[in-house]
Amino acid sequence: MVATDVVQVVARGADVAFVIDEDAPFNVVTTELKEYLASQSGLWSKGDITLNVGQRMLARGELAQIKSIIETTSGLTVTRFWFAPESLDNGVLQVEAKPPKSAKPDASAVHSRPSHNEIVIPEPAPEATAAPASAVESIIESLKSRHNKNGARNRNITEALFIKSTFRSGESLHHHGDVVVLADVNPGAEIRADGDIVVVGSLKGWVHAGASGDNKAVIVALDIPASKFQIAKYEGGPPTSARRRSNSLASGPKIAYVRSRSIHVAPFAGRFARYSKGVPYDG
Amino acid sequence: MTGKTIVITSGKGGVGKTTATANIGTGLAMRGHKVVVVDTDIGLRNLDVIMGLENRIVYDLVNVIEGTCKLNQAMIGDKHDYELFLIPAAQTRDKNSIEPEQLREMCAELEKEFDYVLIDCPAGIEQGFKNATAAAQEAIIVTTPEVSAIRDADRVIGLLESSGLHRPRLIINRIAPDMVKRGDMMDQKDVESLLAVEVIGLVPADEHTVVAANRGVPVVHNSKSSAGGAFLRIAARVDGEDIPLMDLEPKTGLFSKFKGMVGMNGRAYSHA
Repeated sequence: MVATDVVQVVARGADVAFVIDEDAPFNVVTTELKEYLASQSGLWSKGDITLNVGQRMLARGELAQIKSIIETTSGLTVTRFWFAPESLDNGVLQVEAKPPKSAKPDASAVHSRPSHNEIVIPEPAPEATAAPASAVESIIESLKSRHNKNGARNRNITEALFIKSTFRSGESLHHHGDVVVLADVNPGAEIRADGDIVVVGSLKGWVHAGASGDNKAVIVALDIPASKFQIAKYEGGPPTSARRRSNSLASGPKIAYVRSRSIHVAPFAGRFARYSKGVPYDG
Repeated sequence: MTGKTIVITSGKGGVGKTTATANIGTGLAMRGHKVVVVDTDIGLRNLDVIMGLENRIVYDLVNVIEGTCKLNQAMIGDKHDYELFLIPAAQTRDKNSIEPEQLREMCAELEKEFDYVLIDCPAGIEQGFKNATAAAQEAIIVTTPEVSAIRDADRVIGLLESSGLHRPRLIINRIAPDMVKRGDMMDQKDVESLLAVEVIGLVPADEHTVVAANRGVPVVHNSKSSAGGAFLRIAARVDGEDIPLMDLEPKTGLFSKFKGMVGMNGRAYSHA
């Protein structure tokens, strides 16, 4: 679904991303965005969208300008912002949209997944604040500090997404932060988190921690019976060779982490414990 | 009268949805309730055969929804002396011939007259599933103790929960007690821990069920059948009665008891 050279529309399951060319000058971006949204005005009638900004910051006011273009031209509401330094290539600005339920034909890709599988992840909404420009900046500031690796306080106290019932086959979500599941993750379910994933239950589905590339992300679960999982770009799973399997771990709480470019699993003893007895989990 | 609409679904095909619908419906009718069972498996109707009513069909569900007949014209009375009715599915149409909203309206109409409206849901999670589940206030999931059926049940429970049908209840069908005892089949606990929902019934694999289906007389009519007894208990639980789940024991005749005494049965050896 290519729209113009500058604004491209990419469907990812139930979400739609506007990818805007990184080399285009800002005034071209605004014109193209206006034109594109105007031409698709029937499609984007109503709905909340997330503004997803890449690593390179836009100049002050530019983000607010884009927000107002989107809101005035399309009737969409920018309610959520996302700032994740490692998640995107330099300078790419993305707008992720969750289209309205009434979205039309052209959006067939939008309906590629049943709508009741959508999980809307609330992020701090700037709407309540009076001036949009300052609201935008304050959100960016807060998100920046949350992602600041050097600030220990911000790294260790996060707002996690909390799932209180069994996460079942066919359900999937992507959260830009930590995820806690107070139940099992069943086979066929998928969770992607930019931060850590904690499963207070049995992890049988597919999970990806540090999905934006964070090697330091971990997966903690009461049990990891046999599932495959991923941390950053590394894939993990129970060892496939019989010899390796024989010295794999007894059941019990486990932590999976990346060490010397492969995934290890050890009995859980705290998030920042020094793990030395982990077994390679690279099956 | 304000009745209750219950959908019987599974995701996977062939696990016993239609059999369960016919038997729970009959069971509830035997308890003195006014019951209607609705077959929503348009294009692949079966419930009429299981209930032995295939020769009496004149109008069907799609006729009702399209307004070519009245609701009570499509209702076929059961052969037995109970207040049990069937609304058959259309065989010559497909799932897209009705909309969830239309079925919801029809069931609301039926609830005025009946104590229980049971909807037999087609396999799958497409249009037919959406139609069948839209009208229901409660859901019963049927599964067998097999990984593929449980995977599909898990998916369906997730879909039901996200469409507002919380706390569906589970029937584990076709349990072979001797296989469970040998450790070759998942037991109730295994299934419960995987699916994390309330179990409303355990139905043993029973040859009588197949015979009953072939004859068009639901197995609850057969007092000798273990599956029939299990379905009667499920009907009672649906009706709000608190009956504890029974442990399904392998059939023990005199001979096997004797073998057990002298340490000859398989179980004794398997622990050696």
